[in-house]
Amino acid sequence: MTSRPPFLSRRDTLKLLGAAPVAAAAVTAGPRTRGVAAQDTTEVRLTSAPSSPAEQRVLEGLLQEFMAANPSISVAYEPVTAEYDTKLQTDLAAGTAADIFAYDSLPAPDLMQAGVLEPMGERLSEAQVDTADFFPGLIEAFTYEDELYGVPKDFSTLGMVYDPAAFEAANVTAVPTTWDELRAAAEAITEAQGSPAIVYGPNFDRYIAFLYQAGGAVINEDRSEIVLNSPEALTALQYYHGLYTDGLAATYTDVGAQWPGDAFSKDQAAIVFEGPWLIGFMAENAPDKAYEIAELPAGPAGKATMAFTVAYGINANSEVKDEAFQVISYLTGVEGMTKWSTGFGVLPSRPAVADAYLAEFPRRVGFLNGGEYARPWQLGPGGTRFSANANAELQGLFAGQLTPEQALENMQSRAEQDIRLD
Amino acid sequence: MATLAGHRGRRSKNPLAVEDAIAGWVFILPAVTIFVMFIFGPILYAFYTSFFDRSTLGNRNEYVGTANYREILFDNPDFWQAFRNTTWFTIGVVPTQTAIGLILAVLANRKIRGKTFFRTAFYFPSISSSVVISVIFLWMYQRNGLIDFAVTKLGFPRPEPVWMNNPNGVVGSFLGLFGWDNVPAWLEGPSVALLSIMMLNIWTTAGTMMVIFLAGLQDVPGDVYEAASLDGASRWRQFRDITVPLIRPVTLFVTTVGMIGTFQVFDQIFVMTSDGGPNRTTTTMAYLIYQETFKYGSGLGYGSAMAMLLFALILGLFLLQRRLVGQNAL
Repeated sequence: MTSRPPFLSRRDTLKLLGAAPVAAAAVTAGPRTRGVAAQDTTEVRLTSAPSSPAEQRVLEGLLQEFMAANPSISVAYEPVTAEYDTKLQTDLAAGTAADIFAYDSLPAPDLMQAGVLEPMGERLSEAQVDTADFFPGLIEAFTYEDELYGVPKDFSTLGMVYDPAAFEAANVTAVPTTWDELRAAAEAITEAQGSPAIVYGPNFDRYIAFLYQAGGAVINEDRSEIVLNSPEALTALQYYHGLYTDGLAATYTDVGAQWPGDAFSKDQAAIVFEGPWLIGFMAENAPDKAYEIAELPAGPAGKATMAFTVAYGINANSEVKDEAFQVISYLTGVEGMTKWSTGFGVLPSRPAVADAYLAEFPRRVGFLNGGEYARPWQLGPGGTRFSANANAELQGLFAGQLTPEQALENMQSRAEQDIRLD
Repeated sequence: MATLAGHRGRRSKNPLAVEDAIAGWVFILPAVTIFVMFIFGPILYAFYTSFFDRSTLGNRNEYVGTANYREILFDNPDFWQAFRNTTWFTIGVVPTQTAIGLILAVLANRKIRGKTFFRTAFYFPSISSSVVISVIFLWMYQRNGLIDFAVTKLGFPRPEPVWMNNPNGVVGSFLGLFGWDNVPAWLEGPSVALLSIMMLNIWTTAGTMMVIFLAGLQDVPGDVYEAASLDGASRWRQFRDITVPLIRPVTLFVTTVGMIGTFQVFDQIFVMTSDGGPNRTTTTMAYLIYQETFKYGSGLGYGSAMAMLLFALILGLFLLQRRLVGQNAL
């Protein structure tokens, strides 16, 4: 503070300015040589979007074990906690994406079509990994033109999570297994507690389960046509929205919650349609609240639920594909997946791991059973865009701006515009 | 001799002048470099990119001429919805924030006790983090939040649906009270949700406008007021006939900055809404550009074209405004 720096002469200043770019260049050149310095170990970069610090810890533990067993590979884990899809896209565009990246089933078609992913089929058969050992719906989600582009690391299904105390108070003894039973239970509970029994939202990723339960679909069987606007879809929408207009359900914003699970943890809901992500949230925010997990009630066309799944894929531009594959093999193998799913609580994508999982978490059978008939949360290339547009229509419907018929009609034309069919 | 002297004279003067010039250029070099590399260059590059169909992931890149522009203008209903939303946002926010900014400035310019306190207090929202303020307002607008609480305490019915989830247009709803249903979309007005964000925006920016107006008020010579009051002009006359005309250049600046700011509003939408909902009524143009480019995979060319249209719109409005307010003002 006391000594002022001597004034630089003009010439010195020029020298300094001249030196600055050189210094800057030296700094930027630094990291590039990093890989060379490590002699025998190959660095593999892995990125994913951990939903909580707990998830990150379990994954980092797994990677430590992998590196202990494979000293020639070092895995650099780069967690991204927000705007993962956007970051992944810009990283891929800039050529700085990690060697292994996790990606969701919804944007998967766009990524697979763009050719940024390395095909997996050949490597898997060389390593004698049978894709039949995974739940078929999950493999389907990461298959494009008969080629597999990712190995599903886990999945989550939608189940019906309910509060047994609220059921008891309303004298509802049987867990609803059909739409009619759900409605009857909701009526009894709503009357008993004086507020809507169900809390959900105008979200397409919830409505679509009801759409499938009614026998409707977004895209037809051979993927040639958008068939969203159907009598079945209308039945489903009238049922889903009817719960709201009849006062049996509220949206999470109606009750001042961030999402349905938030409302459930605050005793504002007796029934929510959520997935395993609710479990960790409840443990943290309402550890004393008792709740049960059941399958979603069956509609006119039977049972249906959604599988939200995430795969590990290899960057097509990676220079360490073989090593990256080794990492994925470990994380999605029986041993790694057992540790992963029992450690963190997400559903294992291999049925063979399910026994160990159920032994650890017997109450989650409701979520796991859904795995047998769950449909992947995927709408083809352009699905991300359509999902957002469909949400907008549902918001219009729930605000009373549209009728169910109009909302469906709008969603149909949006889907025709957004989803690129084969 | 004369030439020699002249030569010597130039020599003795010039090296310094040349050195000064070089030094001057060297000193602004970093700023110029940064400007060209990070502002002017990207703008030109975005203009160039807008004529390509270029996917963000890089597997598609072909020259398509003006196809992006045509698709946006004639084939993208979301663009026009975003245009309407942004226009309502601007129409609502700019005059209000300018008026409030001017009133606050005039008040804060008077010799009152605690002047500094008020100046600081009014300016405070502008220097706080926009994201933090947005999150706090989001809580206030929630069901059973502060605003719901105040409304019900005052005896009004609780609005349904809740503020940030109400896609109904305020102008349309108002006209509906007089029995005019089926108001055309362009007359629906901002949705209640958008209006909620507009109020937040006014609250945060009015302070900045006040500071600019305060600087402008310092420039108005005091003797003009003195002369006016000797002539018996009332306070209101003085404000209307001296203050307002004399700070017209400042007003132009404030409205221009305000207009640019509102046409580019993004952060508050990003933080406070889910995907520009409910029912797309808070999707502004800047937010739509982000969605199309980085979320929906419409590609960099498409997004650039949309950004160029936004640029053209702002430029056009600025020129119009300059003409209205007075050419020499800025």
